[in-house]
Amino acid sequence: MPIESIDPVMCNGCGICVRNCPMDVIRMDRTIRKAQILYPEDCMLCGQCLECPEKAIYLRPGFLQPTLLGWG
Amino acid sequence: MKETLVACDVLVIGGGLAGCFAAVKAREQGLDVILVDKGYVSRSGETPYAGDTAVFDPAWGHDLGQWLTQVSAVGEYVNNRHWNELVFRDSRERFADLRSWGVRFLEKDGEPVRLAHPLKNTSLPDRDKFPPLVSEVVHWLPGFPEIIRKHVLKSGVRIVDRFMVTELLCQEGRAVGAAGFAIEGNKPSVIQAKATVVSAGGGGFRPIGYPTHELTADGHAMAYRAGAVITSKEFVAPHSTSPDHPAWPPMYLFFSSGGSAALPGFWEDPKLFNALGEEVPARGMAWHGWLDAEYEAHEGRAPLVRDLGRRGRQPVSGPGAHGSMLGHATGGIRPVDDDCATHVPGLFAAGDSCGTCFIGASYSGFGFATMHAAATGARAGMGAGREAARAAAGRGGSGRSRAAAADSGAAMLDNRLVADAVGRALAPLERKGGFSPRWVTQVLQNTLAPYFVLYMKRGDRLQTALDTVEYLRDHIVPKLYARDDHELRLAHETRNMVTNAEMKLRASLFRTESRGTHYREDHPGRNDEEWLAWVRLKDDDGAMVAFKEPIPAAWHPDPAKTYEERYPMRLPGEPTGADRSQGDRRVPQPGEGG
Repeated sequence: MPIESIDPVMCNGCGICVRNCPMDVIRMDRTIRKAQILYPEDCMLCGQCLECPEKAIYLRPGFLQPTLLGWG
Repeated sequence: MKETLVACDVLVIGGGLAGCFAAVKAREQGLDVILVDKGYVSRSGETPYAGDTAVFDPAWGHDLGQWLTQVSAVGEYVNNRHWNELVFRDSRERFADLRSWGVRFLEKDGEPVRLAHPLKNTSLPDRDKFPPLVSEVVHWLPGFPEIIRKHVLKSGVRIVDRFMVTELLCQEGRAVGAAGFAIEGNKPSVIQAKATVVSAGGGGFRPIGYPTHELTADGHAMAYRAGAVITSKEFVAPHSTSPDHPAWPPMYLFFSSGGSAALPGFWEDPKLFNALGEEVPARGMAWHGWLDAEYEAHEGRAPLVRDLGRRGRQPVSGPGAHGSMLGHATGGIRPVDDDCATHVPGLFAAGDSCGTCFIGASYSGFGFATMHAAATGARAGMGAGREAARAAAGRGGSGRSRAAAADSGAAMLDNRLVADAVGRALAPLERKGGFSPRWVTQVLQNTLAPYFVLYMKRGDRLQTALDTVEYLRDHIVPKLYARDDHELRLAHETRNMVTNAEMKLRASLFRTESRGTHYREDHPGRNDEEWLAWVRLKDDDGAMVAFKEPIPAAWHPDPAKTYEERYPMRLPGEPTGADRSQGDRRVPQPGEGG
């Protein structure tokens, strides 16, 4: 898995990871003001979310490789 | 969903280095400028991963002739020397601009440190057959994206982040803005502009191993559909990848901590070994070398290992691992003048979207992509600014005030044009079923990523891939559907990647020779008689057609030189020496007999 987790306790809701992500992988949950990983399969491991001031984000090597099915 | 209508003088699509330069230079003319990006302006495209830029400065002892020779020799004479000279001559001013914006560069005693081309002093086997690599770069320090963004905002440019442009609007033969939607929530908008700059980067196919997944040729595809001419799509950007952990560690960490591949000591004379333990002669200079990895794999001698000296040995995949990362500073929307205007009136192109043929068939210089982005960005911004002022004067408007622009803009757009564009933007969301963008992308990757399609090319294999791509284009793309706001973006990107695939395959089929990073097994040598020419693509009544445009004779290699002297990089199977009298040794295609 590429982006694996955002620690909900450490996340201060600043939104830097949301704006930095070029792939729209992370969205802000506006109710609880915490960043959430919504589309991890689109993470390209650029690392720009690691500018998190609270160091709440964890990445690990490897990609999600979806299985190619017959159709959509 | 009812669209929002916004008007401005100059619209810039894509907020990397080129787009930031375009927006600032247009704004400096007192115009109302909107800069949109599907991500976050200044962190767009390849910009966050750049660490340096080439600067040509005669005061530093640089010789224009030597710089041009470097590009022509490695780019194999399909570089545009007019654009080379423009970009080189602009680079000192662009460097001064960046410093004035607050970008900090590596300095010593108050002077910028100039770093030599990392391959200048390597012991690559063919190095002495090439002219010297004379280009030099300056290296910027961390914080680059924030600094340029701050300057863009300070200059008064209106930034719209996380907005996906889906198409350029054309009315009465002119580009008059663009339509798209906000990514979160998919609210559609139309941005009307008197002049539009496309600076949306190059295009790959979401390569595993490089953080270029958002570079889906949006600019190339949109401009092509609007009637622009596209050039030089047959050349590729070969980069290596680790087969164990592609893209690890994240590239941004290296650059944001001050790293640069141009820093002394980084480049350690890499050696490449095949599965038999033999050293692979990384032929040629610059990025040619990784094609050698592919030639070895083709012969059944992969996996490969590279030896990085003190940094150890590691397995390595050739460029086929990712199916063309993107294209830097060569292919794209063809500019028709020095302002980066295109064949579509009112439309300008900048950065990797701008097909100046700057580097030709192969990338020869460190820092050339950023140098090219800054120069074409500034030129496109200034050109678009002048165009906007002309357009305003033509309608009796001042072209200066935001209110005037909005007034003239809102009154002018055809309602049907807007409604159709918005309908197409949201169409994948309206469909109840169809094909998911991720699945279509995967089919496309499976078609293009094998090394024997876009790296070791052959006519029949290119045609096979093109058949699949045409099927995707005609039967699958019209049925792309999006389940939520995120997938709507993916649907449009997927469509653009399919268009880009068709461009790359058609251009590759059309160039029936080998040159630089374009290698054809069935035409393994350069053919100067026929192919000192650029391959252009354009829409002809719904069909993509390729055509040739000759390169000025003054830029040709010296005909008095032998083939081997003109082209020091050897290609597998090419006729050399006495064999060359037989002409281009074409390999017959299946079914052709002989």
